[in-house]
Amino acid sequence: MSDVQAETPTVADFARTFRRIQAEIHKVIIGHEQAVEELLSALFAGGHVLIEGVPGTGKTTLVKTLGLALNLSFNRIQFTVDLMPADITGTRVILSGDDGRREFTFQPGPAFCHILLGDEINRATPKTQSALLEAMAELQVTVSGTTYRLKPPYFVMATLNPIEMEGTYPLPEAQLDRFLYKVRLNYPDEGELTRIISSTTGPEDAGIEAVFHADEAAARVESLKQLVREVMAAPALEIYAARLVRATQPQNSRFVSDEAKAVHDEMVNRYVMFGSSPRGAQALILGAKVRALLDGRANIAREDIDHVAIAALAHRIMLNYAALSDGIDAAHIVERVIKSVRAAKV
Amino acid sequence: MSFPSQDRRADEKLGEILGRVGSVRLRLNSLAIQHAVFYTLAIVIACGAAIFVGAYLMSPLIFLAGAAVLVIIAASGIVSAVRAGWRMWASAPGAAAVADDRAELKGRLSTIVALAKNETRGPLWSYLVEDTLGYRDEFAAAKIERRRVSRAIYPLVAAMLVAALAYPISKIRHAPRINLGSDQDDLTVDLDDLHLRPADPGDDSSGMQVTADAATMRRLEDKLARENAAGGDVAGNSMNSLVNRARDLAGNLQSKLTGQQSASKQRLNLRLADADQNQDQDEIHRAPETRKNRHGEIAGQFKQEMPKSNDALNLPPEDDARQPNARPSSNSTGDAGVESDAGQDNPNKSDGASDRSIQQSGENSSNGGEAHGVGADPDSLFGAPATSKLGTEGFEIAIEARPVDHGAKGAGHAYVPPKVRTPLSVDQQPDEPVARVAVPADDRNTIKQVFER
Repeated sequence: MSDVQAETPTVADFARTFRRIQAEIHKVIIGHEQAVEELLSALFAGGHVLIEGVPGTGKTTLVKTLGLALNLSFNRIQFTVDLMPADITGTRVILSGDDGRREFTFQPGPAFCHILLGDEINRATPKTQSALLEAMAELQVTVSGTTYRLKPPYFVMATLNPIEMEGTYPLPEAQLDRFLYKVRLNYPDEGELTRIISSTTGPEDAGIEAVFHADEAAARVESLKQLVREVMAAPALEIYAARLVRATQPQNSRFVSDEAKAVHDEMVNRYVMFGSSPRGAQALILGAKVRALLDGRANIAREDIDHVAIAALAHRIMLNYAALSDGIDAAHIVERVIKSVRAAKV
Repeated sequence: MSFPSQDRRADEKLGEILGRVGSVRLRLNSLAIQHAVFYTLAIVIACGAAIFVGAYLMSPLIFLAGAAVLVIIAASGIVSAVRAGWRMWASAPGAAAVADDRAELKGRLSTIVALAKNETRGPLWSYLVEDTLGYRDEFAAAKIERRRVSRAIYPLVAAMLVAALAYPISKIRHAPRINLGSDQDDLTVDLDDLHLRPADPGDDSSGMQVTADAATMRRLEDKLARENAAGGDVAGNSMNSLVNRARDLAGNLQSKLTGQQSASKQRLNLRLADADQNQDQDEIHRAPETRKNRHGEIAGQFKQEMPKSNDALNLPPEDDARQPNARPSSNSTGDAGVESDAGQDNPNKSDGASDRSIQQSGENSSNGGEAHGVGADPDSLFGAPATSKLGTEGFEIAIEARPVDHGAKGAGHAYVPPKVRTPLSVDQQPDEPVARVAVPADDRNTIKQVFER
């Protein structure tokens, strides 16, 4: 089942494991290579992923396949308007013991797993959505004053449906910020659609093979996550990431480069209401570290940061109505910011 | 757990990487220094050559303005070159970043250089060092930066070529002016007819040098004082003074650069013909029989030795009509009076000022020395050939002097229109004074009969 070594992984182990998980997922998921890579990057970076895509693009299938490939516990919550927080975190119920005594016992909710899929999370009320906050950020839930730890690895993937917005509740900004990446699933092209048709309408099962043993999967994923943290980042690149994040903030869009040359991005001032939070910089570095390991390096490069910048920053930037009216999305802003900061020559 | 031998090997590998980065840095900084130095030299040489050529080819005021502009450009260029060199100066992280970019090492060297001094290194440090060392051939100094000599050498070579060409160019362009000056005959002008005024602000002629005996110079100084006192426009005079000072400054600079100060000035010998100037009589050596032929008025003569160019003096057009009659001759000086020290026969190179001066000299019969051949008295036709020079006790001062027409007198810095010279027809010959020579006794009667007729 698994040929991945159980001891401390090396850079080569990481890349090999990553590619193997990728390959398993792509047995089911046709296309979406970048989305799958970003999904796995977020997993090993220790973050969570918000997946946005129109219905039928394989959001749920992708998450299910990931759980199967990693051989980790997997739960799915279909968020609806009447979903309550206790439906996520769990609740205390009265149970009768062997001696007949009745007592309140905590019944864990679907949040207690390794991989949690929150399907159409924007259909639940903000109160319910916020129930995920503590679990995502602190890997714990508190029910009736009692805190319950979640077992790592804990990976939340929430899906958003950009259409059918009636009766939905846009995610609070604080909750959006807790997602490491926002991954977009677009429509497949013709070739991908043909392959989807042929692979999903036949009698054969895709036959996903788990990469890890069930008893060691969590530990292996955690060791790989730890390896990501060991990747080195030169101070200059940390400064670069910080400048990228600050450049998305309208009040800081005018920043000073090494050459004392002020770089001013009018686009940010014009279209951005709120820029990225410091979590954006963390996401940049962590994502860059995953990419460095995939490239067989123990250090990050500027290209790694640039590569993950849109996924890491776009959902943290709040645009104003001018951007909506001009058809500017956050990805445009991030691309522009990258160009500006690069031109400033860190 | 790592053993000391492993740590030593890791340190050696790290040292090799850092050494290679140091080599890259050394080469980059060498190029930075070369960039600054070469560009600075190129700018200095090019501007120096331009100023040198300009000293030969340009008039003083234009030269001064051009030199100032060039100096400003050169200063800004040097500052830019030094700043560019400073920006090219690479620190160790900078050199590592350059090596990363050029060898496509994706930040490996930058990370190593940045984190090498950290005491706590992560578990992937040795992997990073080993991995980076695998690319050792990629970030060798010769591969990162192949050039040992900065491209700034090309501007420097170009500037040196320009400088090498500047000298012959300046000589080629300047040669006719030198010949013109050396071949020019003297001028004689009447001091009373000499009207002094400040030079025009835009006048680029370099003036002339006047030599004269003491009495003449005193009279000239008095005349200068009177003319200055008569000049009314204070603002205009101050402006003229500033312009003249600028021109003098530029002229001096040009003279220093070209080393042709004497050749660039016209020299005039100013002589008094008045009998009252007793202290000059010994030097003048006038013959008694020629004194009576003098017109009696105090007059002076300008003797021009080396006019700079044809446009050195501007004369009003009315003088041009008399040009054919005003040609000086190197052989026309009197036997004991004014002696030309030029001795050349190149009348066509004298300008209008010369023409006028000579005509005045002829009309006034000022100081031809004994038996000067003014052509009016056949008795004074023959005498001893001119052998000695006048003004042996004279001295020289440099003034800005020019003849002007009467219409411009008292006009301060009035504009003098350019002279239009009308060439002689093929049948015309310029009227040139004949130098006094010894006449054979057999021919004297014939010559006398000709003049008596």
